[in-house]
Amino acid sequence: MKSQMFAIIKKDLQGITTNKRMFSTLLAVPLVLSVFIPTVFILVLHFAPDESVNLQKLLEMLPINELEEDLSLSIIGLVLNYILPIFFLIIPIMAATVMSATSFVGEKEKQTLETLLYSPLSLKEIFRSKVLASFLLSMFVSAISFVAMLLVVEAETKLTTGGFILPDMKWALILILVSPAISLIAITLIVRGSAKAQSVEDAQQRAVFLLLPVLLLLVSQFTGVLFVNVWILLALGIVCALLALWLLRKSMDDFQYEVLLK
Amino acid sequence: MNIVTLNSLSKTYPGGKKAVDSLNINLEKGEVFGFLGPNGAGKTTTVKLLNGMLSPTEGSCRIFGIDPTIAPEKLHALVGVVTEHAQMYQNLTGIQNLVFYGSVFGLSTKESEKRGLDLLERLELSDARDKKLSSYSTGMRQRLSLARSLIHRPQILFLDEPTSGLDPESAQNVHTMIRNLAKDHGITVFLCTHQLRYAQEICTRYGLMENGRLIAEGTFHNLRSSVYPGMKIKLKAQGVPSDLPCRKIGNLAYEVEIESEKDIPQIVRKIVEAGGEIYHVSAELPTLEDIYFTLTRKKEGSI
Ligand SMILES: Nc1ncnc2c1ncn2[C@@H]1O[C@H](COP(=O)(O)OP(=O)(O)OP(=O)(O)O)[C@@H](O)[C@H]1O
Ligand SMILES: [Mg+2]
Repeated sequence: MKSQMFAIIKKDLQGITTNKRMFSTLLAVPLVLSVFIPTVFILVLHFAPDESVNLQKLLEMLPINELEEDLSLSIIGLVLNYILPIFFLIIPIMAATVMSATSFVGEKEKQTLETLLYSPLSLKEIFRSKVLASFLLSMFVSAISFVAMLLVVEAETKLTTGGFILPDMKWALILILVSPAISLIAITLIVRGSAKAQSVEDAQQRAVFLLLPVLLLLVSQFTGVLFVNVWILLALGIVCALLALWLLRKSMDDFQYEVLLK
Repeated sequence: MNIVTLNSLSKTYPGGKKAVDSLNINLEKGEVFGFLGPNGAGKTTTVKLLNGMLSPTEGSCRIFGIDPTIAPEKLHALVGVVTEHAQMYQNLTGIQNLVFYGSVFGLSTKESEKRGLDLLERLELSDARDKKLSSYSTGMRQRLSLARSLIHRPQILFLDEPTSGLDPESAQNVHTMIRNLAKDHGITVFLCTHQLRYAQEICTRYGLMENGRLIAEGTFHNLRSSVYPGMKIKLKAQGVPSDLPCRKIGNLAYEVEIESEKDIPQIVRKIVEAGGEIYHVSAELPTLEDIYFTLTRKKEGSI
């Protein structure tokens, strides 16, 4: 990778982080997802009368080996390890969408794209810089959300049950492999869409149409995958990562300046 | 050695408009090539073809032997381009913009800053260096664009109307700078402009475009002698002998067509010998503007 690409990455990231209003919205939604929702859940669990839900039965139906002594703790463990990971597939993609959708078409609208194209970087290198900038942002937001979620969930668990529950192995796999790979696929496709779009709105609509089915699929299918086993998750992660790299290599093969500037 | 070669370069836009039609031009090192022509003649299109932003529909071009459709990024390291549509970032200051483009060209931040400050100074933008581009006036932006195009010390400059929107003083300053870049640093300049008076001062050669075609090409001298083989003098005199081929154009004012400067003393002598009195004699050399109008009109007339 050329050092000049870092200049573009840095400029793009600065562009988004110095826009305070945009950046706070960007952080707000993930934080709500990763902090607020688990909090509500834990509080409801804590204040709801035990008899109202037959938790024991529910838990027995699920393929979980060791049940904690405290029922609430088991339920929290279930949420932490089987429900919350899904958020971490959605959060990075959401966080990067705005930035990646505007990546090319935003420069086109501000008439800075042509200037960028006069640089000694090839179209592919510019494309990769754009993808990487969005990707770094998404991973940053994702990491912040994870830390915030973990702190909140642990603190609340301690307060409500007096116990303590750890995220399991799958989390590491998701945070390090699956989530980055899926985000990279989404971002590459969105940035590519941005290069073809005629306006920022156009690019954002494309992004939403692209993402909605993907997100629905993730949400509906992923819990199942989590229940199956770690190896399947690993395999899925590797497949996604390879797909992401392939897309990153192949995208823009068919692009020329003329198409981009039109 | 030719630095820029255009070989029947042609471009037809997808809509069917033939904007550039079989151009053949060669530029040598250190030349300042004035690319002239009315609106829509195809100047900007040519600049974009030469930098790979457009692909030619026919013909080809080479710059330093590089085909811009094949290796544009290699070419871009050697060229600086200013066009109307190549703007910079509104939310960055003048110097931040220059540092960004410097680092895109592979310069360190420190080096970009040093060069950037120097360029801002030369383009009289030092006071605005820490102001956001959004607060720049049109002329200031235009000058910052020129600074941007020079940050990586290119060997050839493509300037598409670099001084449109500049006040006369800044325009003069920019033109002097362009001339010095060519003279002192051997930079080749491809300059599209409508400001014929300045073009005449700084260009070493011209190409005149109309409707995508190159209708005339050469040095000022070549163009002038092709359009006006002779020259004119204006006289203010009394008692001009009637056998002289003078055309009266006003009270005591005459116009004479001659072949060259050598004819002037003879005419003066004849008037004096005939007892006439001369108040004023001036040789009227056609300007680039005169040549431009004659050429573009001639073309119109012949169609
Ligand atoms: N993207 C485009 N699609 C279709 N036609 C175009 C496009 N860009 C320019 N043209 C047409 O090509 C011709 C040449 O345009 P060009 O911009 O090269 O002229 P120019 O010499 O730079 O004019 P000006 O002095 O006004 O800048 C014009 O007739 C113009 O309408
Ligand atoms: Mg033009």
